[in-house]
Amino acid sequence: MRKFIVFLLLSSLLVFGVSALMTGDTQGSDGTVGVATCKACHAKHYESYAGSIHARKAIPGSPANRNACETCHGPGAPHLEKMGAGGAGIFIFGKRPADAERKSAKCLSCHTETLRINFWDMGRHRAAGISCDNCHTVHSGTPKNLKARQPDLCLICHLSIRAQHNKQSHHPIREGKVKCTDCHEPHGGFGTKMVAANSANELCYKCHAEKRGPFFREHPPVEENCLICHVPHGSNHSKLLVDKPPKLCQGCHDASGHPGTPYTSFETFGGRATGSKNRMFARGCLNCHSNIHGGMGPAAMGQTFVR
Amino acid sequence: MKSSICVVAVVALILSPPCASAEEKKAEGGKTVTGNVSVTGQYTDIGGNRSKFNEYRDIREGVGVHVGAEAGHETENFYLRGEAGNIGYRDQQYRLEGGRWGKFGVELFYDQIPHNFTEDARTIYANPGSSSLTYPTQPPGTNVNTWSIFDYDVMRHKFGGGFKMDMLKPFFFNVSADSEKRTGAYPYGVAGTTPGGISIELPAPIDYRTDGVTFQAGYSRNPLLMSLGYSYSTFDNNSNNIYFRNPSNAATAAVTDVLTLPPDNTCQKLDFKGALKLPMRTKFNVDLGVSQAKSDAGLLTSYVTAGGSTPVTLSSPKFNGKVETQSYGFSLTSTPLSFMDGKIFYKYYERDNRSDQVTTTDGATTLTNSLFGYKKNKAGAELGFRLPANLYLTGDCTYAHVNREREDIPSNDDYLYNAGLRWSGLSFMVARLGYERLNRGADFEGQNLGDAEPWIRRFDAASQTRDTVKATLDFFPMENLNVSLGYRYRHSDYEDTVLGFTDSKGNEFNFDVDYVIVGRVRLYGNFDYERLEEKQVQRNINLTTPVYDPAASTSANYNWSADQKNDSYGFTVGTDIYIVPKKWTLKLQHSYLKSNGEVDYSYMLDPATLTGLSPGGRTQDNVDITNWDDYSLRYYLVKLTYQPTVALSCTVGYAYEKFVYEDAQYDGYQYVPATTGTSGAYLSGAYREPSYEANVLFLNLTYKY
Repeated sequence: MRKFIVFLLLSSLLVFGVSALMTGDTQGSDGTVGVATCKACHAKHYESYAGSIHARKAIPGSPANRNACETCHGPGAPHLEKMGAGGAGIFIFGKRPADAERKSAKCLSCHTETLRINFWDMGRHRAAGISCDNCHTVHSGTPKNLKARQPDLCLICHLSIRAQHNKQSHHPIREGKVKCTDCHEPHGGFGTKMVAANSANELCYKCHAEKRGPFFREHPPVEENCLICHVPHGSNHSKLLVDKPPKLCQGCHDASGHPGTPYTSFETFGGRATGSKNRMFARGCLNCHSNIHGGMGPAAMGQTFVR
Repeated sequence: MKSSICVVAVVALILSPPCASAEEKKAEGGKTVTGNVSVTGQYTDIGGNRSKFNEYRDIREGVGVHVGAEAGHETENFYLRGEAGNIGYRDQQYRLEGGRWGKFGVELFYDQIPHNFTEDARTIYANPGSSSLTYPTQPPGTNVNTWSIFDYDVMRHKFGGGFKMDMLKPFFFNVSADSEKRTGAYPYGVAGTTPGGISIELPAPIDYRTDGVTFQAGYSRNPLLMSLGYSYSTFDNNSNNIYFRNPSNAATAAVTDVLTLPPDNTCQKLDFKGALKLPMRTKFNVDLGVSQAKSDAGLLTSYVTAGGSTPVTLSSPKFNGKVETQSYGFSLTSTPLSFMDGKIFYKYYERDNRSDQVTTTDGATTLTNSLFGYKKNKAGAELGFRLPANLYLTGDCTYAHVNREREDIPSNDDYLYNAGLRWSGLSFMVARLGYERLNRGADFEGQNLGDAEPWIRRFDAASQTRDTVKATLDFFPMENLNVSLGYRYRHSDYEDTVLGFTDSKGNEFNFDVDYVIVGRVRLYGNFDYERLEEKQVQRNINLTTPVYDPAASTSANYNWSADQKNDSYGFTVGTDIYIVPKKWTLKLQHSYLKSNGEVDYSYMLDPATLTGLSPGGRTQDNVDITNWDDYSLRYYLVKLTYQPTVALSCTVGYAYEKFVYEDAQYDGYQYVPATTGTSGAYLSGAYREPSYEANVLFLNLTYKY
């Protein structure tokens, strides 16, 4: 009985071993031809694949543990039958934009089981016809298989954002200190504009914790949405403001006394006669109202954000 | 010391396993270690404002050497990567990550981010950047040559790390922590007396520390994803107040004035994300989050006026701030038919302010702090149709309702409609066209608020219609040619606004091209143009004899308008000439950026009354401003790269950058325009004259292995 069990085990090992060896080089019943066959014609592509994360056998479910090249490109038999001409009979990740959905589907067949990619269907990139291979290359060994570094990669498509980054007031994005993915979730999510937070303020507070308060004196639009007064990608006006004080502030604050005064060229430094006004020159309203993001000051001076 | 030990331990932990495996890999003939070392020697000459030139970087005048390196070590089972940039400089950064493929990963980073505002600022105060600002005699001297000289800059030192574990798939676990120290000086302005007093620019201390930790754990295996996250963050401000001598105070009043600075706070958030795949290629997604932010601070019991200290009675000496948020998001995404995609969603967000309400009594004036909170409900549906000829048509509509604790506009109703068409019928082109319409209704409750409130519509909540048209074209007819074009038009009409922003318009055009000629020459370029226009109508209302109704006009109470226009354009042209491919490369690049802003004022007064306004001599034309954040940036780059071997490259180059800034608010800058009244100020030169011109000669050696 014991001999029989040993024989059975050895036989099984032999059968499985031989079949495992054979699947590498011969056509399988599913139409796969094996990695060696692919390599014979596509040596360069194979080399780049071999250096990539997809070739890591240590990762369960990686192409290396499945059908290697044919995991993503599909079974090679039809391709061989057509003599391999011009990608015939096989799935290629070419530039053809109409294939975006099919290309992404190939990647998502494995990658959908991660927290980040799980919400791909909710993102604007999918709706805009963007596929995974627009940003990632399947074969390279670059970090996260990205085709280029941020922000260059994102700016290939987002031309208007590139223009904003170049403006004189900007976050240190082009200096490499802030990345697009610090704020955005390119694979989709619940946030507006694919922002990686439940609100704009929640996102901004990650780096600007001093604005988080809660303050004794609050400025309602500040607490509601930072983007009422600021543009995150770049502005011609200092502090990434959507407009320039005092014009921006006057858009909301018109009252007797100085808020409604027309601050013009007459009120600048050296304005006509004694015209210069500390509500206009230099930083305008912020010359006095520093605690515009909220303050802890007492009495009326606290309420008007001057203490 | 503890953190250093941790870093060394983690690095050692990562390094040890791959070393053994590397031998195996080497035996197979594989390359296990890759990377590069880059050394750049440069000579820099900077004229003008060095702070603006170095706003977020550290390129020092004279000779400098910048070293950067990247290294990667990979085996079949393990990986380790590291990079270091600008070693030893104020903008240095380091990153190290490693782990075992498919099992776990560790990451460590250290990053310094300088933010330079103004170099050689001047102040009346003897100790700029401290929380106790003094000067010896009252009033302070007005000779700026005797003032203290300092820099406005803020430096962020950030370090942290993370650990992620995938080895228990389908379960996952991530943890990360970071700490940031921010130090420096920042301009804070205060009114000497209010209303009608001078302004004083204080070189305030920035001495912050922010620490955070985040945990995330979950389960993910089709068809189900569940993830629970928790984050906790603390913010500590080493200076919660600035104590300063106030030039407006009487010489005999030995009273120190106080400006409050951001309070210490904590914030924590609990978040659940989930997804469930359903039949008919449908997925249900959910995101639930609650957060709580807290602060507490002792409130000041007096404030300072020109005559001395004025006591304030507080209903509580301490303020406990507490803001809670709740967010719920649900969405159903589906591709029920091969030609159709759909999505419906609902989101709810609430900011609930549970802070203390404290009443301050100052003589006859009693003030209680308002607690601002709001609720936002948002629901919408999106549909996408795959039509014949590779057309994809999308349409969506979203309804959002905001309720806020605010007197003038307590609620908004937004109806947002979108339509888009994408055509990808050709293998070398994608064209997209989109239109968006926003109809915002505002529940205006300002009729009975008094003063000018019945006529003011604040732009953040005012009713408006907004039309946006977007078009893009991506064209790639050959492997070596890419062309992209984009256009965007936006127009907001604040139709109910009498006082405030009435109209806002933007036109934007972008172009990008990249072309490689037979592998020998690469030509690239881009062009961006943008015109922004804002119209606003305001009212000058006299303090002593106010007339609020905009329909009435007197020499002291009248309407005026300001039309702001800003034209910006920029371009880059460049070429990479592969003189001897893979050996000699010449790069030439030129960029130019220009922004031109102006404000056209109109006083709704007859010419005689206008001319008579103090100070006299105004006309409708001479009040306009023609330099409103005007600037230009020129950049030239020439560099020649020689690559004697695959591993080694040598680059010599020259870069020129010139930034010119002009603005009506800074032209003719005066540190002390006057010492009293509304013309008065003691400024410090913050943001003054940011123009600069820089020449950089550089020589770079890079070795790849």
